[in-house]
Amino acid sequence: MNSSMIPSELRKKIALQGGAVIIGGTVFVFFWNDLRKTAAAHIQTSSTSRISGILPSLISDLNLILPISLLAVLFGIACAFYLEEWCPATSWIRGFIGSQVNFLTEIPSLLYGLLAIMVLFSDPGVFKEIGAFPLAQNANGSGLEVALFQRNTLVFYAETLIFILMAMPIAIKTTQEALRSVATPIRESAYVLGATQWQVLTKQVVPLAFPKMLAGGCRSMSRVLAAAALLIGIHIPNHATGPRGIPDRFVLFLGGALLLSTVSSFLTIESGTQK
Amino acid sequence: MQTDKEKPILSTHNLNVWYGDHQILNSLSFEVQPRQVTALMGPANCGKSTLVRCFNRLNDFTSNFRFSGKILFKGSNMYAETTDVTAIRKKIGMVFRKPELFRCSIYENVAYGARIAGINQSSHLDSIVQKSLQRSGLWNEVESILDEDPKQLSIGQQQLLCTARALAVDPEILIFDEPCGELDPIATVKIENLIRDLANDCALIFVTNKRRQAARVSNVAGFLYYGELIEFGTTEKIFTNPQDTRTEQYVTGSLS
Repeated sequence: MNSSMIPSELRKKIALQGGAVIIGGTVFVFFWNDLRKTAAAHIQTSSTSRISGILPSLISDLNLILPISLLAVLFGIACAFYLEEWCPATSWIRGFIGSQVNFLTEIPSLLYGLLAIMVLFSDPGVFKEIGAFPLAQNANGSGLEVALFQRNTLVFYAETLIFILMAMPIAIKTTQEALRSVATPIRESAYVLGATQWQVLTKQVVPLAFPKMLAGGCRSMSRVLAAAALLIGIHIPNHATGPRGIPDRFVLFLGGALLLSTVSSFLTIESGTQK
Repeated sequence: MQTDKEKPILSTHNLNVWYGDHQILNSLSFEVQPRQVTALMGPANCGKSTLVRCFNRLNDFTSNFRFSGKILFKGSNMYAETTDVTAIRKKIGMVFRKPELFRCSIYENVAYGARIAGINQSSHLDSIVQKSLQRSGLWNEVESILDEDPKQLSIGQQQLLCTARALAVDPEILIFDEPCGELDPIATVKIENLIRDLANDCALIFVTNKRRQAARVSNVAGFLYYGELIEFGTTEKIFTNPQDTRTEQYVTGSLS
C-alpha cells in the first residue's frame, strides 16, 4: 500500500466523507434548483425536446443505459474469465485480445464520443450509408411518451455500439486484474484438497475478487457517463435544458459518473483493506 | 524391517522435467514406502518443489511444463489420460511453505475438503473437524474459537491448521514442502514431532533444505542436487555412510 502511513480505518473515513461531499455538492448545485422548477411545470422551448427537467432524461436514459451496461459489463467479465481461467496461456487469442483491450482502454474516452458524433450520428452516417438499420422515427406521440421513445433506431444502435466499445475493454481489463490479484497459493491450497476448477473459482477466486470486479464495472460505467456528459455539454442545442441553461442530461450523466467513480473507489479501498 | 515387504505407494521411473527449454529434473527414479517419512533434501532451487508438485499434478497449471518418464501411484500411471486428477489430489495432500488459509472460520477451513467432497451432514463434519484437529495436535488450543478468524492464530498454529485441513480429506500420502521455512524454532519442533506421529498412518514426503531436520525426522532420505538424485537410501546410511562424495560434502556442511 502506498499510503501505509494512514491507518486503514481513517483512510476509509476520509474516502467516505470525501465521496459524500462530492455527491452531496453535485446534487445540491445541479439537481435541486432544476427539480424544484420542473415540479412547477417549467417548460423550456428547445429545438428537439418538448419537455424538460431531470425526470424524463433519467427515465429515457436508464431505459437505454441499464440493459446495455449490464450486457457490456457482464460480457466483459465473462470474456475476462475465459481469458484468465480457461484460455491456454500460449494461445494466440489471449495475446490478441489482450493487446486490443490495452489499445482500446488507452484511448481517451472523449475520442469515442467524437467518433460517435462524427461517424455515426452525422447526417450521411455510416449506418445510413450501408443501410444496415431501418430509420424508423416514432416521435408522433406527445408529452412524456415523446421523451421516452423519441430516439430513433439508428441513434439507438449507435449509442449501443459506442457504449459497448467504451465499457467493455475496461470491464475486461479490470476483471482480469481482479482475477490475477487472487494469489496462486490460495488456489493451490484448494486444488490440493481435491477441488475442481469450478469449485476453486466459485468458492475461492470469485469471493475474493468480487469487490475489485464490481469496482471495475463501476469504473467503466463512470467513464462512459463522464464522456457522454462532456459531449452533451458541448452539444447543447439539441438537448432539453434546465432553467439555468445546463442540459439535463449533462447534469444527469455527470452526477452518475461521480457517483459510480465514488462507489468504485470505496470498493477498491474495501478490497485493499481486506488483508 | 517390516516395511521392506510392502509395495511402494509411489514410484517414479526415469522422470525428466523441463520448464520451457530449461531442464529442472534429470532422470529421477525412486520409491516412496507407506508409513515412512521420506525426506528430500538439497540446496535451494535444485528442483525439490518441482519434484513434489509433480506428485499431485500441480505443475499442470504451469504453462511451459513438460515431462517424460513415469510416476506410479499404487501401481497406476498418474499421468495417464484416464486419470481423475481431483481424485489423485484428494489422495495426495500437501502442506506448503507458507500457511495459506481460506478467508473463513477455523472450522470451515478444516471442513473445506470434506465439503467439496460432498459431505454436508453437520454431525459428520463435526467429527471430521475434531478428528483432524486432534491428529494435528491443535484441538485443545482452538476448541473454543472454532468459529473465529484463523488469522488470529500464530503462524505455527496456522501451519498446524493447514496440516489439519490436509488431513481432513484422509490422504494416503502427505507432502510437506518446507513446512518450517517460515516458522520459529518452537513451532518447528511441533511440526517435526507431528510429522513423526503422522507416519503411523500414511506415507509422508518431507522437503527441506536443512540437513539436520531431515536427519531428525526421516526414515528414508534422498539428496537432490541441481536436478539429479545423487543418493537415495535410509537416513542412517545417507548420514553415516554416504556413497557419493557430494552427499558426504552436503551432510557435513561443506556443500550447499
